[in-house]
Amino acid sequence: MKKLISRILVGATLLASSACTKIDNYPGPNASFQGNIISSTGGNLLTSGGSTQIWMQQIGWTAPQTIPSKFDGTFEDTRLFSGGYRVLPTGGAFWPIYDTITVNLGKGTRHDFTVTPYLVIKNFKATLSGTTLTLTYDIDAPIVAGLPTIKDTQPYVNTTRLVGTGASIRDFSDVNSVTINKNFIDMSTAEKSRTLTVPNLIPGRTFFVRVGVRLNDSFNSSNFSEIVQVDIPK
Amino acid sequence: MKSIKKLIIAISVATGALATSCQKLNIPPTNIFTSDVIFNSQAGITSFLATIYQDLPIEDFKYGPSGNDGGPAGFLHGGNDWTEFYNEAGVIGEEVGPYSGFNIGTGFGFWPYGDIRNVNIMIAELPKHAAGLTQAGVNALLGEAHFLRAYYYFGLAKRYGGVPIITVAQNPGAPLATLRVHRDKEQAVWDFIGAELDLGYQMMPATSDAGRANKYVAAALKSRAMLYAACVAKYGSVNFVDGQARASGLAGIPASAATAYFQSAYDAAKLLDGVYKLYTANADKVQNYVDLFLKPSPENIFIKQYSMANNTAHSWDDTMSPRYFTANALTRSYPTLDLVSLWGTLPITNPDGTPTRFDNRAQLMQGLEPRLLATIYFPGATLRGLTFDMQRGIYPSFSGTAAAEVAKQPNARSYILAGDTKTLYQGLQVIGFTGPWTGGDELTRTGFYVRKYVDYTRQQATVNLNTSVQPWIDLRYAEVLLNRAEAAVELGNTADALTDINLIRDRAGAALYGSIDLTKVRNERRMELAFENQYYWDLKRWRTADVVLDRAHFKGLMPYYVFNENKYIFLAEPELFNREYTFQKQFYYEPIPGGEIGKNPNLLPNNPGY
Repeated sequence: MKKLISRILVGATLLASSACTKIDNYPGPNASFQGNIISSTGGNLLTSGGSTQIWMQQIGWTAPQTIPSKFDGTFEDTRLFSGGYRVLPTGGAFWPIYDTITVNLGKGTRHDFTVTPYLVIKNFKATLSGTTLTLTYDIDAPIVAGLPTIKDTQPYVNTTRLVGTGASIRDFSDVNSVTINKNFIDMSTAEKSRTLTVPNLIPGRTFFVRVGVRLNDSFNSSNFSEIVQVDIPK
Repeated sequence: MKSIKKLIIAISVATGALATSCQKLNIPPTNIFTSDVIFNSQAGITSFLATIYQDLPIEDFKYGPSGNDGGPAGFLHGGNDWTEFYNEAGVIGEEVGPYSGFNIGTGFGFWPYGDIRNVNIMIAELPKHAAGLTQAGVNALLGEAHFLRAYYYFGLAKRYGGVPIITVAQNPGAPLATLRVHRDKEQAVWDFIGAELDLGYQMMPATSDAGRANKYVAAALKSRAMLYAACVAKYGSVNFVDGQARASGLAGIPASAATAYFQSAYDAAKLLDGVYKLYTANADKVQNYVDLFLKPSPENIFIKQYSMANNTAHSWDDTMSPRYFTANALTRSYPTLDLVSLWGTLPITNPDGTPTRFDNRAQLMQGLEPRLLATIYFPGATLRGLTFDMQRGIYPSFSGTAAAEVAKQPNARSYILAGDTKTLYQGLQVIGFTGPWTGGDELTRTGFYVRKYVDYTRQQATVNLNTSVQPWIDLRYAEVLLNRAEAAVELGNTADALTDINLIRDRAGAALYGSIDLTKVRNERRMELAFENQYYWDLKRWRTADVVLDRAHFKGLMPYYVFNENKYIFLAEPELFNREYTFQKQFYYEPIPGGEIGKNPNLLPNNPGY
């Protein structure tokens, strides 16, 4: 009886171990892709969540995938399958690019994209008076002809450095949006110098603040200012 | 010797038996219906058509627009479909419901080429059976088949734009390259739909059994479809997402085509002149409008029926009203104050900004348009002998304006709220039996409930899940009038539009208009067709969804009891979950389902933004 059991066990062990000998001979997702989305007006394109992304489609496959851009205009994905990809930046407030470029992804592949933003926010200043924050800035457009209509402008206020669309406190941000609904070409110089106010900020807190101008393009996308830190005194 | 004889006999018997049995085996399989069985008799065709009609993309009570947030998706026809609150109305501001945001934009992968294949087989087979069916019978059925095919393609075109037009059943043995059909241009698909419906109109008889098409059903559907195409051409050429599919005409129609489509919609709607009429059986305009959705009516053009015996009943009565009025279950569909405000601002605020005081909640309904009261249950309305008891809380006393009160932080407000109906304030119940409350999602978050289609004649104890059988009215004459009016205004024929709209407003019990414009026509459509799964597609074809649903929040009407005055007030406040709804522009088209692209890469390029 004992012999029988031990034989069965030996048999089972042999089967179990041999069952595992087939190994996955496909390489894992060990390629990576990173780089910057550079603004043609200098520096990286300032972005936000749900905005600029790198669209990519592996050659020979049908389903595209995307790498969302980080807020500082960089992107990185370290779990990609190596091979040829068609890529382009999309989704953000910059003049659309239609022609994909082909990159061959391996370990540590880098590529920088250059885009022309719809608008640039200049001279961004935040002034605190009591619990009311006043934000002043100028809007400029590198290319005016054919620019999508400007919908509105608003502050983005959050308690972390991740601040932008979808990452802001509604009562301080969306609520203080100002409608513009004008073409840039029809805006006077005065209208291009904007002021936004954020009242009733909470004393003793630290906020991170930026402003955005939204355009009526394919994505209702926004151009953003840099992010500033604001400490509200107690 | 004997045994040899026996052996010979045995062998010959066996051979004989085998030989004859072999012949018997050579018969058509009895468990598969061949085309002769199906297409030689009306009975066979009726049973074949049953499946095609059942799968028709009719957005009825049971239709689930997306599987997101746990909702079931698609055109359901089972025996246990009780998720009526997962509906389009709940993401576009007509209602708030279980969807946590605008989560239906990418659809559920509708791809009915199996059903289209059935119709294609029918169109190919019918002409061979003129002997059994008569030539007239064949023609009528062919017309019906063209209508059905158009209905399926309409379901595809409004979701994806251009799709492959397949008019002949594909042979599975054909080379892969032939089977992988490219997308046709969007305009070609709409033109195909229009032509198919023309055939349906020409070939079908003027009347039909309830639930089946006749020539006027084809005309009515054509007015709806061509209006959609016209708006895609007119508004889609202004507001769009750029991309390869648009550049190649797969998503989008040239603006120059708009006028012809509007004319086509108008002409199709006009064909129904004098054939159908608005339901006006009851002189009480509220009751009349309620009964329109529950009783047989000359307004119904095309309906979908349900039956408990066939295990297809729906659950509208049990899922639109709270448990207080039913035998079981709960609701999660709450009409918004934004929708109610289409009828005009409710008289809840005095000129000085203070909330108007009411002796009882039902007083608010005095003087409101009958159609509004028949569409939505207000606080104080009654159903099955019970009163809609909406009360958000109690103010021991109230001073100041409504606006100032609503602007306060919740902890700065002096109201008394409660988490259940047992909590009392000075001996009075704090919240109503039917909400509003935030403790769960089974009582109203807006102060309203849906009334349209709710069968008030049923006893409470019988109102259970899967027991509602009132038909869904897919096409009714009021919609045809609205299609006609909209096309007329777009074509500059305001006189016709004014007549159409005033017919509807008269039946609704509304003041008649002296003049008309596009905004009035569109608002009339929203009011008349609320909760009928139209406004979602209206927003899409008008290309206004990204403007209307731009970080949108919707409001409710919160009734409070003011204790020291023994009066009621109503405050307009954000619906209690205060959810946000944003429509992204690429949602004007749904993505071609990934699984289908996997099978047929020729479906690429996908729609812009995907």
